[in-house]
Amino acid sequence: MTGEHVTFRLNGEIIQLDAPGDACLIDLLRDDFGHMAAKKACGIGRCGACTVLMNGVPVNACLLMAWQLQGADIVTPEGLDRLSEATVIRQALAAENAFQCGYCAPGFSIVLTALLREKPDAGEADIRAALEGNLCRCTGYHSIIRGALAAVAALAGETQ
Amino acid sequence: MAASGFTVVRAASADEALSFAADPSSRLVAGATALQLEWAKGQPRPQRLIDLTRIVGLSSIEVGVDKVRIGALVPLAQLTRDAALAAALPLLTAVAKTVAGPAVRNLATVGGNIAGRTGCLLPSLLALDASLEIVTLEGRRTVSLAAWLAEDHSRPVVIETIIIPRPKPGCRWTQRKIGLRAAFTPSIIGISAVLDLDGDTIQAARLAVGGGSVMPARLLRTERMLANRPLAEVDWAGIHAGLLTEIAAPGDAFRSAAYRCHAAANALVYGLSGALPGDTQPGAVDMMHASGNPVAETLLSKAAYGDRWHVRPDGPAKVAGTFAYLTDHRTPDMLVGRILRAGIPHARILSIDTSAAEALPGVAAVVTHRDIPGDNAFGIVIQDQPAFCFDTVRYAGDAVAAVAAVDARTAERALALIRVDYAPLPVVTDPRTALLPDAQAVHDGGNLQCALSFSKGDIETGFAHAAHVIEATYETPRQMHGFMETEGGHAFVDEDEILTVCAGGQHGSRDRLQLSRILAMPEDRIRVVTSPTGGAFGGKDELTVQPALALLALKTGRRVRLQLDRAESVTAGTKRNPMTIRMRTACDREGMLLAQEVEVIGDAGAYVSLGAAVLETALEHACGPYVVAHVASSGRLAYTNNGVCGAFRGFGANQMTFAVECQMDRLAAVCGLDPLDMRRRNLRQPGMPGTLGQRVAPSERLAEMLTAAQADSLWRKPGGLSPDGSEVLGIGMALNYQGNGLGTLPPDPAGGGLRLAPDGMIEALYGLDEMGQGLLASVQAAVSSALGCARADIRAVTGDTAATPESGSTTASRGTYVVWKAAALAAPEFSQNILTGAAGVLKRPVSQLVLMAGGIGERGSNSGVPLLNFRQLADALGPDALPSVSTSFDFPKTEYQYGNARFLFAFGATLARVAVSRITGQVRVLDLVQHTAAGPVLDAAAYLGQIEGGGLQGLGFTLSEDAIMENGLFVTGNLDSYMLPGIADAPETLRVHALETLDADDPFGPRGVGELGIGAVTPAVANAVANAIGIWPVCTPFDPQMLLDTMEGRA
Repeated sequence: MTGEHVTFRLNGEIIQLDAPGDACLIDLLRDDFGHMAAKKACGIGRCGACTVLMNGVPVNACLLMAWQLQGADIVTPEGLDRLSEATVIRQALAAENAFQCGYCAPGFSIVLTALLREKPDAGEADIRAALEGNLCRCTGYHSIIRGALAAVAALAGETQ
Repeated sequence: MAASGFTVVRAASADEALSFAADPSSRLVAGATALQLEWAKGQPRPQRLIDLTRIVGLSSIEVGVDKVRIGALVPLAQLTRDAALAAALPLLTAVAKTVAGPAVRNLATVGGNIAGRTGCLLPSLLALDASLEIVTLEGRRTVSLAAWLAEDHSRPVVIETIIIPRPKPGCRWTQRKIGLRAAFTPSIIGISAVLDLDGDTIQAARLAVGGGSVMPARLLRTERMLANRPLAEVDWAGIHAGLLTEIAAPGDAFRSAAYRCHAAANALVYGLSGALPGDTQPGAVDMMHASGNPVAETLLSKAAYGDRWHVRPDGPAKVAGTFAYLTDHRTPDMLVGRILRAGIPHARILSIDTSAAEALPGVAAVVTHRDIPGDNAFGIVIQDQPAFCFDTVRYAGDAVAAVAAVDARTAERALALIRVDYAPLPVVTDPRTALLPDAQAVHDGGNLQCALSFSKGDIETGFAHAAHVIEATYETPRQMHGFMETEGGHAFVDEDEILTVCAGGQHGSRDRLQLSRILAMPEDRIRVVTSPTGGAFGGKDELTVQPALALLALKTGRRVRLQLDRAESVTAGTKRNPMTIRMRTACDREGMLLAQEVEVIGDAGAYVSLGAAVLETALEHACGPYVVAHVASSGRLAYTNNGVCGAFRGFGANQMTFAVECQMDRLAAVCGLDPLDMRRRNLRQPGMPGTLGQRVAPSERLAEMLTAAQADSLWRKPGGLSPDGSEVLGIGMALNYQGNGLGTLPPDPAGGGLRLAPDGMIEALYGLDEMGQGLLASVQAAVSSALGCARADIRAVTGDTAATPESGSTTASRGTYVVWKAAALAAPEFSQNILTGAAGVLKRPVSQLVLMAGGIGERGSNSGVPLLNFRQLADALGPDALPSVSTSFDFPKTEYQYGNARFLFAFGATLARVAVSRITGQVRVLDLVQHTAAGPVLDAAAYLGQIEGGGLQGLGFTLSEDAIMENGLFVTGNLDSYMLPGIADAPETLRVHALETLDADDPFGPRGVGELGIGAVTPAVANAVANAIGIWPVCTPFDPQMLLDTMEGRA
């Protein structure tokens, strides 16, 4: 087995990793690092359940392989705890009962966090566009949109 | 598929990359976002990846006066965000937003999209006359994209920069990506075009197609027809005709070549001229005018419910990602399981040799049929499916062996070492031909799994008096459940030698029964944990991974985890039974229904699971909520090698409702009646027996639902041609009538329990499963209401055979009633026991005490503070004297025994407003309104979620979802091609109303709504399409080509 040695940041912590080059970040997170919040639901980048932030933007952890992690700053849903916006966004989503089975919820939450950090006054069109890569099978998506809009309102309230 | 490693080399320059690339087993990559899908589809993994992302100078966009230079390493996301680029090349920005999904675009590069030659950017870059700066072994050169695409592709090339001349001011451009759903879709065909204008004259035209399987190409002949011509003089009909012959596109399992050409020609001509072929026929039916709604419904929303809106107890942890699913468990000693699937749809097994797999270091156990001590057969009703195949494979997902190893890679390598010799058998793929006398048999008893019929009256007489007869054949798809958490879990033998199997499911005690048969192990030696589950929708009702998990845990004596990857879930998991429903319905001149004949052929797949019950339920709903005197319904279910089918939300009723409710609109049209009036004339009346003649529960609300539908403000929204002329809008509705519970024939036991836990929480125990539907919230609602305490005092304990009583299955919209009834039955005695206990502690008579939020209070007191909280009571009573009450009962049934008939029903009316694209034939649902009547709403959010979610799942069934099979193998192998609706497919508005009333003498409380939301979506949308364009689609998912042909008068 040919291996890769990479150094990257995982939720703020410097990680030195030796892993097969084709090991996917989602498997590393779940099986090696015990970070279970991101889920693997398609493995080919088509559902968004595994979304993490890389250098501040959402990426599919099932598409990222170990060799691509060199120097990256990875934030998983566990790492969102350090971001103040994330707390507000999560509260708004929970209050709206945005999710049902919840398996997709960490992925949606991380994308919404990235969106609202960049664009705190996002409207429904922005929210829909940002979430095009995240699939949810339980809801009609409107509960998630309502939760996201509530988060926008809550963030606006905080900054006033 | 064994994992194999590769080396990665980082190229510092294009030249260095090419020097590495001389080795043919190497591959140039940047974002690498296509690799997982390519490998999953069987393309070979390279031995060496050459990482291009370190090459400097290729990561910027430079917008110059004459041209734009885009570095090949620019991520696609940057194209969508760069303001200067958007101003200079709005076409490219627009197209970039249609490529993949946002997160993929953050990784994928412009160069990669071009280099693969299938990328969705290509048509736009061709239309923009882009050139590439490339480096090959021969050196660096600039080449037009069109020329480069025509070159030999076998030699390595590094694309460095894309150079795009800035279009002249005032140019006209268009683009469209035609896919399988609204966004994040594979490309069926993409088009882009630019007309350089000099005043009103076309100076030059560049039109292109491409994307996905369509070879990227300029449309030079059409361009010549347009060049140097005044815009006003262009013969767009002639251009359209020319495009149809010039565009080259292949057909496949998703869309025909003709459709691709047709839609692309429409998109190009419409985009450049605003013209479209064909006339439209907007508004085939006059719209009714909404009036004030006399039905006392509530709009379901957080605002409307105020303090009746509660945060579900599992919600915050789910959002934060700290909620532990059964597939999230990891312990240091845990083995990883994998299952070997046959991969071949029909074959004799000649031999199975596991010796090489067993010898692989790191493998703890391999199990096959030889390891099964009991019956190698399972199935909820009929045990016709082997846990592991022994002599015959009947579908590609049949399990042949399973492995437990130290890690996933080792387990996968071990699977590859298992040698199975097969003798292929002819593959049975069509349920109709499967039933012919000389068909290859899938099972020894032949392919007719069951034949059911029901009749009343005399249909000959009925049809003899008919003024109008409508006959149509409706076809429904192999819909996939698509739960986000694939089947999986973990298993172990605990210190008391109890086998514990934790895997998402819908009826733990029945899973335990099935495991006990397979393992020849008493049920009391098995514990099954089924909650929480990450979505099920019926797809986890049957056993999934449990036999493999159990056998591996028993054989190794260690903890084993196992979760299907999505592709394996697609191959192995149950789907909705595809049905062909031929329906012939007669009415008299006044629109009164006279007779109906229904014939159904269903595909069982390889093993029946609940397929026969699904067919039976379909037939039970064959007359919908209407009175028909003369009925003859029959159905046949055929074994095939097409995967496996079984329970799925709606359970046959939604398929049949599609047919019935379209028949009603069609008959109304031929009678010249308003479709709602047609329905009202024929509606069941309260007190009538059910469709099969069975006694049914009170509180029918069909007339109210019809009234609410008629009064809905949706009818006031615009229909007809859209303002831009590209879509035709229509509005339709359908009634919804959905049975609850398993019916008269199967046992349908239920129950629950209440107890005071040592920590002072009131535990409500149910053998039901939280799958997302809101069980925990519903339990808190029902129990707190029955006891008079607060939701926060209640802890729901669910889905664990060691801890929870038999409540029956979490299926068939039965959970809500079970929760409510068990709470109502157990609460008086439990409450009495609590008060008696508290009376002893407080030294007060029971009559002075009352349960309240937080504990036990003084009856009549307004203090709001309990005298004794539940924790104090628990402490005072001690762990051995804590009150505990359990109850068991049967789900309400009728005595009808001639067939399976429901007693409890829920009611609804669904309205949809649609836009049918005149360009692509695709249907967008703009508004979806659901009126529902299912008794009191236990938990507003859970109810709303079920109806909205069922609604979107119904839209998927109607518009985009079909697990396509070819020769017994899935074409739609993963979520790249199986089109679950995304957020872009969600209607602009969703609105849900609930009518909560029950008749005064109705003792049956809240009905379930798990299936109500999906029930009438398809016919509402179909009727809306008919309202828009005058024809009813009869196949779901709707075929856009058929709709296009209809609109253009070529049907």
